[in-house]
Amino acid sequence: MSGLLQLLVSGLALGAIYALVALGFVVIYRASQVFNFAQGEFVAFGALMMVSLHAEGLPWLAAVALSCVLTGLLGALVERVLLRPLVGRPVFVTIILTIFVGALLRAGMTIAWGHELRGMPTPWDTMAEVQVLDAQLLVNSLGAMATGALVLGLYFVLIRRTRMGVAMRATASDQEVALALGIPVGRVFGATWFLAGALAALAGIFLGMYPRNVDIHLGFVALRAFPAVIVGGLDSAMGTVIAGILLGVLELLCQGYINPHLGEFGKNFHAVFPYFVMILFLMVRPYGLFGSREVERV
Amino acid sequence: MPTLEIANLEVVYHSVVRVLSGISLVVPEGSIVALLGPNGAGKTTTLRAITGLLPLHDGEVVRGSIQLDDNSLVNLEADAIVRSGLAQVLEGRRVLVDLSVEENLLAGAWSLNRSQASDRVDHFCARFPILGERRHHLAGYLSGGEQQMVAIARALMPQPEIVLLDEPSLGLAPRIVDEVVKLIREIRESGVSVLLVEQNASMALDLADAGYVLENGRIVASGTAEELRGDADIREFYLGLGSTGSRGYRDVKHYRRKRRWLS
Ligand SMILES: Nc1ncnc2c1ncn2[C@@H]1O[C@H](COP(=O)(O)OP(=O)(O)O)[C@@H](O)[C@H]1O
Ligand SMILES: [Mg+2]
Repeated sequence: MSGLLQLLVSGLALGAIYALVALGFVVIYRASQVFNFAQGEFVAFGALMMVSLHAEGLPWLAAVALSCVLTGLLGALVERVLLRPLVGRPVFVTIILTIFVGALLRAGMTIAWGHELRGMPTPWDTMAEVQVLDAQLLVNSLGAMATGALVLGLYFVLIRRTRMGVAMRATASDQEVALALGIPVGRVFGATWFLAGALAALAGIFLGMYPRNVDIHLGFVALRAFPAVIVGGLDSAMGTVIAGILLGVLELLCQGYINPHLGEFGKNFHAVFPYFVMILFLMVRPYGLFGSREVERV
Repeated sequence: MPTLEIANLEVVYHSVVRVLSGISLVVPEGSIVALLGPNGAGKTTTLRAITGLLPLHDGEVVRGSIQLDDNSLVNLEADAIVRSGLAQVLEGRRVLVDLSVEENLLAGAWSLNRSQASDRVDHFCARFPILGERRHHLAGYLSGGEQQMVAIARALMPQPEIVLLDEPSLGLAPRIVDEVVKLIREIRESGVSVLLVEQNASMALDLADAGYVLENGRIVASGTAEELRGDADIREFYLGLGSTGSRGYRDVKHYRRKRRWLS
């Protein structure tokens, strides 16, 4: 029982992180049909920024906020300089460009931060635990869950209640209508990249606590969030969030209950498990849990 | 209230397909001007040129001018053109189907602050009680007529000075077309000029002060609505009021006459 609760909490925490990364993909895709393959680099950049800013003496919360803003600005810059000129070009052109952006950012981060592992600062003791019933729960996990819930809630308020949110949804729904109504569509694209960057940074910060260390390869988690995007439906923010959380939980349950039965061979089975779910979805429901049927797969 | 004036406008798509070959037209302040013509004549292209939507279609103004009083609109971004007082209702209504009626209206309110925007939403919900009732429903579930009201109201949100309507009667039942006609009259009475693109020439010429006929990217006839209604070719081809009532020699003769305009 305590084992299950522990796994569930870790799974929800991991799921919240997947959801943040996956939501970043979807926000950009919905507005501009660009699939951002550099999202993982934003995750790593945010985490490394956090480590450095905290080392400079910034209080934890301020460092988190500033890392999110800076990563968001990096996203907006990439959009403005590299992607805006390509608006209206075929999808594969933008895909290749974002892959290139990812490579460029990895090179830049290697120069700036090198390859060494760094510890992610936490406002609580790194391995602090709280006792709930008879289970020991990591404060890191609870923090990731709470932050995920808060941020995802804020996101849905943003897109439902604010002017930029309505503009983002209008642009996603029909770009020509948005233009004809005087919505500055370029700025909307910039805002989606800012948002994706900030979400990625937050994911990177909590991922870094896990209790893994941070280096430029942290971005590979973006690949692990990929199944959430497919399962949730490429154009559904809500679906992606739900899928991200579910896959995080399933992954850890798999690690806890299935891996042990697979012997030596199954040591890392949980890591590929979300891909099995994704492939299953591609076969039976290619538009995802909540996506619209006409979305083309890229 | 400003005057919209287009002179010698030429537009090409994909750098090679010439669709408008030097058209000129004026929308004087406070008037309704009809732009008539068959499918593919270039009516929508004309509106795209005015409102900065050509780049989205890989189109380009290669020659000519589009002036709002003393300001050129050529090469301005679409949002800057809307801010200068123009509004466009696209062909085919194009409501944002996955947004509510209210959100559709708010999508037209980018340049307004929160309280102005909600005042305008209330205004249109009162003007169109059916939209008021459906305020929080998805716009995709409205009828065609209701969607057209949303599309027009949404464009009117920022209180433009000139409205461009692209075939607002297309695909609507006659009763609904009457509603649209009434609404266009109201728009003009509030001091807003209208450039009305239509294939329904009788409806458009009833409403308009003046009109232009566009064929194959050229203006082939223009005049006051009165003059156009009296023109034999227009009666024949656009109003369906030919004196013989059947396709025959006269059609051919008129067709020849029209060819002469074209060349
Ligand atoms: N994006 C485009 N690329 C190439 N040709 C186009 C494009 N849009 C319209 N056209 C062509 O331009 C001509 C005029 O089209 P349009 O302006 O839509 O006419 P109308 O609105 O009068 O029916 C048509 O021959 C159409 O095929
Ligand atoms: Mg048209």
